[in-house]
Amino acid sequence: MTRRGPLVTLGAVIVVALIFLWANTLVAKPHSASASASASPWASAPATLIPVSSVGTAVHALYAGRSSGDQVTLAIAINGRKAAADLDAGLPSEVSLQGTVNGSQITMTASNGIGLDGSLSGVNMFGVITGFLGQSFPFSAAQAVVEAVYAGRSSGNQVTVAVVTDGGQAAAYVCNGRTIEAWLQGSVHGSQVSLSGLHGAGLTGTLSGLAMFGIVTPSSGLSFPFSAELSPRPAGVYQARIVVNGLATRIGWAVLPDGTQLGVTVAGTTRYAAPPLDLSDGSFTLDGASYHASSVAGNQTVVTP
Amino acid sequence: MTSQPAAVSPARDQYAKPLLTALLAGCAVALALGLYAKLHHPVPYALDIRGFSSPLYAKAWLTTVAIVFAIVQLASGWRVTRQPVPSARLGALHRWSGRIAIVLTVPVLIHCIYALGFGTYSIRVIAHSVLGCVFYGAFVAKMLSLVRRDSMPRWVLPVLGGVVFVSLIGLWATSALWLFTTKGVHS
Repeated sequence: MTRRGPLVTLGAVIVVALIFLWANTLVAKPHSASASASASPWASAPATLIPVSSVGTAVHALYAGRSSGDQVTLAIAINGRKAAADLDAGLPSEVSLQGTVNGSQITMTASNGIGLDGSLSGVNMFGVITGFLGQSFPFSAAQAVVEAVYAGRSSGNQVTVAVVTDGGQAAAYVCNGRTIEAWLQGSVHGSQVSLSGLHGAGLTGTLSGLAMFGIVTPSSGLSFPFSAELSPRPAGVYQARIVVNGLATRIGWAVLPDGTQLGVTVAGTTRYAAPPLDLSDGSFTLDGASYHASSVAGNQTVVTP
Repeated sequence: MTSQPAAVSPARDQYAKPLLTALLAGCAVALALGLYAKLHHPVPYALDIRGFSSPLYAKAWLTTVAIVFAIVQLASGWRVTRQPVPSARLGALHRWSGRIAIVLTVPVLIHCIYALGFGTYSIRVIAHSVLGCVFYGAFVAKMLSLVRRDSMPRWVLPVLGGVVFVSLIGLWATSALWLFTTKGVHS
């Protein structure tokens, strides 16, 4: 006897899976930033930073800008998939909006019908504020000079990459947790990231929405395509320079947003896996002794001969 | 003479083919999931469920709720195998707890495979990746075995059900339990 029930269950599971995949292609579709050329004059306008109180947890990207007619100043904070904005039009009270980030698209609303639609293009955001003071305001905003962390892996998972940007400067650490490691340093121009290190090491990347895509070369002849996402703390680059048994030792860690960490200890010419780093206070233990690692900032000098 | 083997072999063949089909289909699904997860380039995938602090926690809680239904599955399945003619209510409880549990795991599966892929960077992650493939492979094998339930040996469904349950527990232990113990229990 053949029963149809189990096949229906099986089919239903496949249908649910397809619905989830299809729904994602709808929300994750990259949007062409058509406003990028016309809006640039205001992107460079000095922007006033407004404390964004509506985001409770750690902010990991902050955009500040103005409407095209300079009537509204705005600050936008992005934390993972969530976004919040404050609008200031010189009125006694500010307007707070909240919303979500899907790919490079940001949609925010406030309870009183005010809306904000934005599109991320490199380090800039362009969009329009609707229903505010009875009209619409096109705006542009530039990523404020705040530290941003992009953390991810090479496509074949050979190496973990963490890039810390600070305005136009960037520092990065790439390693496989055992033998491959490189410190990189360089600049961010628009959406282009270009870093270099010793012995032919380098990284070229493109910022696209909340992600960075590119090629990382831990040492000459060894290149991996990678993707990294704008990541909240504890993601980042950590390092410690210590002396162990009379040997100058440098340890680097690349930490992903979920706390996954990969690091390499370099003592003289020897390389081995880094000890686990306690991300709550930056402490770690090596050969029974306790040390402290520091978080690396984007403008820090990390490439030293 | 030849009559004795001839009498035995049809009885064996009767279930050998459907069982083999179900098991091979399960293996194929497990292999296909693993290969796809390993070979395809991870892409950003949103699993931003309102009320959860991160996709990771959304996944952990979905899996935890699935575990609760899976325990109902196990208990009802245990009783189904004890009764010569299971009651309709028990059968319905068994089917629906299983359906709910498996559907709850689907968003988690999609996120795991689509956004993360088959990871090999730690023992936990390897175990989780392999168990994920085993889980859906065993699920497909069990569903296909149910289609021809009457021509299956009695041990097939309990064994496949057991594999599904144990692999789900393993999946939960290597993901949600790990997350809850390292990052705390919250939404």
